[in-house]
Amino acid sequence: MARPNRAAVIKDEAKKSILLLPAVLLLLCFFIIPIVLTVYYSFTNLALSGANAKNVEFIGFENYKRMLTDPSTMTSIKNTLLFLVGSLLGQSILGFLIAYFMKGKPKGLRSVVGPCILAGWVMPEIVVALCCMAFFKDNGTMNMILGAVHIPAVSWLFKHPMMTVVIANVWHGTAFSMLNFQSALDNVSGDIEEAARVDGANRFQTLIRIIVPCIKDTIATNTMLNTLSTLGVFGLIYAMTGGGPGSSTTTLPIFMYNQGLKGLQLGYGTAIGMLILIVGAVCSVIYTRILKDQ
Amino acid sequence: MKMKKVMGLSLAVVMAAGLAACGGGSDKEASTGGNEKKEADSGKKTITFCFRDDGQGEDGALWKWIQNGYDTWDKKDTVELNIAPIVAQEGDYFTKVALQLADKKTCPDLVCEDTFQLPNDVSAGYLTKLDDYVKDYEDWNTSYYESMKKGVTGADGSVYGIPYCTDTRGLWYNRDILAQAGVISEGQDWEPKNWNDILDACKAVKEKCPDVVPFWCNSGVATGEATSMQTYEMLLYGTGERLLSDDDKWIVKSQGILDSLNFLQDIYTNGYGPDLSLVLNGQASNTSAREYLPEGKLAISLDGSWITGNWTDTGAAPWPEAKDVLGFASMPTSEGQDPKTITLAGGWALSIPENADAKDETFEFIKHLMDPEVYTDAVIAQGNIATRQDVAGDETYSAQPFKQIATEFLESADFRPQNDKYSTVTTSIQTMVESVVSGTSPEDAMTQYATDVARAVGDDNVTEK
Amino acid sequence: MSEKMVKTLHCAFLVIVGIVFILPLLWVVIASLDTNAGEALKWPAQWTFSNYSDVLTNSDNLRGFGVGLVISFAQSLIVVLISGLAAYPLSRYHLSYKKGFMYVILFMTALPMIAVTVPVYKIFLSVGLLDSIPGLVLFLSASSLPYGIWLMKNFMDGVPVELEEAAWVDGATTMKSIRKIVAPLMFPGICVVFIYTFSGSWGNFFIPYILLSSPEKMPASVMLYQFFGQHGTIQYGPLAAYSAIYALPSILLYILSQNYMSKGFTMAGAAKG
Repeated sequence: MARPNRAAVIKDEAKKSILLLPAVLLLLCFFIIPIVLTVYYSFTNLALSGANAKNVEFIGFENYKRMLTDPSTMTSIKNTLLFLVGSLLGQSILGFLIAYFMKGKPKGLRSVVGPCILAGWVMPEIVVALCCMAFFKDNGTMNMILGAVHIPAVSWLFKHPMMTVVIANVWHGTAFSMLNFQSALDNVSGDIEEAARVDGANRFQTLIRIIVPCIKDTIATNTMLNTLSTLGVFGLIYAMTGGGPGSSTTTLPIFMYNQGLKGLQLGYGTAIGMLILIVGAVCSVIYTRILKDQ
Repeated sequence: MKMKKVMGLSLAVVMAAGLAACGGGSDKEASTGGNEKKEADSGKKTITFCFRDDGQGEDGALWKWIQNGYDTWDKKDTVELNIAPIVAQEGDYFTKVALQLADKKTCPDLVCEDTFQLPNDVSAGYLTKLDDYVKDYEDWNTSYYESMKKGVTGADGSVYGIPYCTDTRGLWYNRDILAQAGVISEGQDWEPKNWNDILDACKAVKEKCPDVVPFWCNSGVATGEATSMQTYEMLLYGTGERLLSDDDKWIVKSQGILDSLNFLQDIYTNGYGPDLSLVLNGQASNTSAREYLPEGKLAISLDGSWITGNWTDTGAAPWPEAKDVLGFASMPTSEGQDPKTITLAGGWALSIPENADAKDETFEFIKHLMDPEVYTDAVIAQGNIATRQDVAGDETYSAQPFKQIATEFLESADFRPQNDKYSTVTTSIQTMVESVVSGTSPEDAMTQYATDVARAVGDDNVTEK
Repeated sequence: MSEKMVKTLHCAFLVIVGIVFILPLLWVVIASLDTNAGEALKWPAQWTFSNYSDVLTNSDNLRGFGVGLVISFAQSLIVVLISGLAAYPLSRYHLSYKKGFMYVILFMTALPMIAVTVPVYKIFLSVGLLDSIPGLVLFLSASSLPYGIWLMKNFMDGVPVELEEAAWVDGATTMKSIRKIVAPLMFPGICVVFIYTFSGSWGNFFIPYILLSSPEKMPASVMLYQFFGQHGTIQYGPLAAYSAIYALPSILLYILSQNYMSKGFTMAGAAKG
């Protein structure tokens, strides 16, 4: 059989691809080029003001060397991990428990509790920041509740800042995990559960041995998606604590802003940006593989 | 499809609302000039004025000065004014200004520059040389203090801004509270001789007046330059050290830094300072000056001379009794060593960006703004110290409470380094101070500071002492 | 433990979690109606609508909402249009590079775009797009486009190709068959893409804050952030009212999208937050 002419194939594909053109153009200009420039600027001493704003020089790996020897980089990575792990555990466990307990409960209860959880998710980031900040302020609702049971007030935003922003993020994100787990649990057939119960497994054993394996794909996807969205969180933390007090809630995006924009060292800021992109890319590859396996 | 209709309808409503609101927006834009240059359509030049609005909007002293200056300007029929404030915390203001100065299109024509920011923006090529303008500006040579001109002169010897205010710093104290705590007797001035005197006074206040915050100083990243200058540098300079060594290297590790940080640690670990939630946000200096001092909830405040501007009739928190209740003491050196007291002077200038496109008109406007007729009231409202000798001699001006003493401080005042790296170093200072007040040890904070500064200025430009 | 007791415990857990989750929001609602709102949730001594009328009679605020709506609306529209077009060849034709392309798209959905703020600022600076709302919209559209394409392609795969074949026989062009057949059938999917893009855009304050400079061009998100920074410690009532109004479009869109959620949801992941 004669193979189709190569040029003809290309011509045919080009014709078929014409509708992709606007998307490709837009992505090229405002997505790909900025990323390429991020790589480029991270090797320069570009500054927002001062002599380096005028005379940009190529300085090789200087920014990266600085970054790797800078203790605040480690602090930011540590904070990012704390924020990430805290948010993931909180959102997944809480989200799963809510979904699991909701299953088979009266519709009245579900239709009241569900929207309460969803409300935090629907709120824009900055409103979430405001709500949680007021909640945890010295004279806020949290301390008022503690006061009612005679526990002395705690200055949450200053004594436990990381915990506070994690809780804010959990409040914001739990609904997403809940919805994911709800649709996964709906697909777990009640028969298997029933069978396990008949065989004498208790509720907890059924949960661990039957249900969790059934929804492990959802757990993986949900974890990846939460990871990716948590990595990019900036506004929530910036509005609540500004990365402080000190650097106790300075995650990588905030570190980037503080060094690159506030500290006027754009080149160094983009090097930190590269670090964020690389972490995101690694997570993304893992995520892509998971989706491929499914 | 019913849902489709609902959806389409609601989207249409949203769209219409958006367009309507936007239409309203563009009307207003036309009347105030907008940020884009409108020369083409009206034949008029527009002066876009950029400054930091700390939340007071049109009631702010700067806004009123500019508006009033424009209203009384004889060229107002031929030149438009567009007031474009940056609403931001102090630290973010400088970032935002730099972002705008770099851009030809959005660049303002007139910008308020803190004199510390000036050298940096000069070396970036963001500001216009004013030499040719001041040459023909008679008052420049006859009325402005020479010392003020130094602050707006670049490394090349050219003038890059017209200074419109200066200030000094010291200890504001509530006479009643200190008397009640037994620190001073009734009617006596407080004259702390060293830092221990301040700590002792705080201790006495804490014991005798438990509801009062003994000591307040800007301590956070959010208060930006106020934290560096009013707090850290007032302390550091009081130890006899400076930010830069004699050979112009940044001192990143020294006993003076540790002493300054230890003082702050003492304040906060002993509970002399305000709650961190009050002091670590962008509004902290307003909270102390507009609420805590007037309400008698604060004994000692390390702050600038301008906070009196809040207490005038038209200020944010009118407080006519301030002149009787408060005293303004010099900040002592750490152990009372020479020169016994310390103060830092800063100040702001009106500059014309290099990318401005109505430079001549703007300079004319600056001259009008700085005309004693307009300027005297403005500098009083701001609570600042005037940069012109003729205004300083004005009766109403010099009759302002505390003006004399604040101006006296000026005679022995130190200035921040005229170094274009200062604006980066100052952000590291703020982080260091905030770390210490929120519990990091002074040693660790200083180590981090050393790393940050070395990165910003280069290893060759730092030193230890 | 008896089955009944377990059930009761579960219900108790749900009720407590529900209350905890709604408390911070309850504060916004009640503080916005309080003449003298503070940090803590409390029953107002005096109820008022003046916080709302203050916010809504301020022309700057209205303009902020208007600008925000225009930005988010334009962005969502662009994403829907461009991703819809792009999804067609990806879903309908056999293309040699399709698999690779989709992986790249998927990969892009995961990159935190906050990391490229500085280069985008520099690009805008050099091409004169700073302080330009269309420029901002283009960048925001590009950053949500990968996800839009990914979703659209999956939704389009769900529309049977046979229906289109009939139209082709009748001589319909590609564009016509997209308009007349594919788009109406995947309308729920289009709505999902639109809504996700819109709510992501509506909540974004950092990118507009950096790329815009004229005060009159700032969208509601930036204004709320500024309000928050400047008055956050004093004027809780108006702040809460502003937030409540600001959250309204998100809530409305969520309710509207409810019908489509179940269909779009499993793939709808990454647009969260």
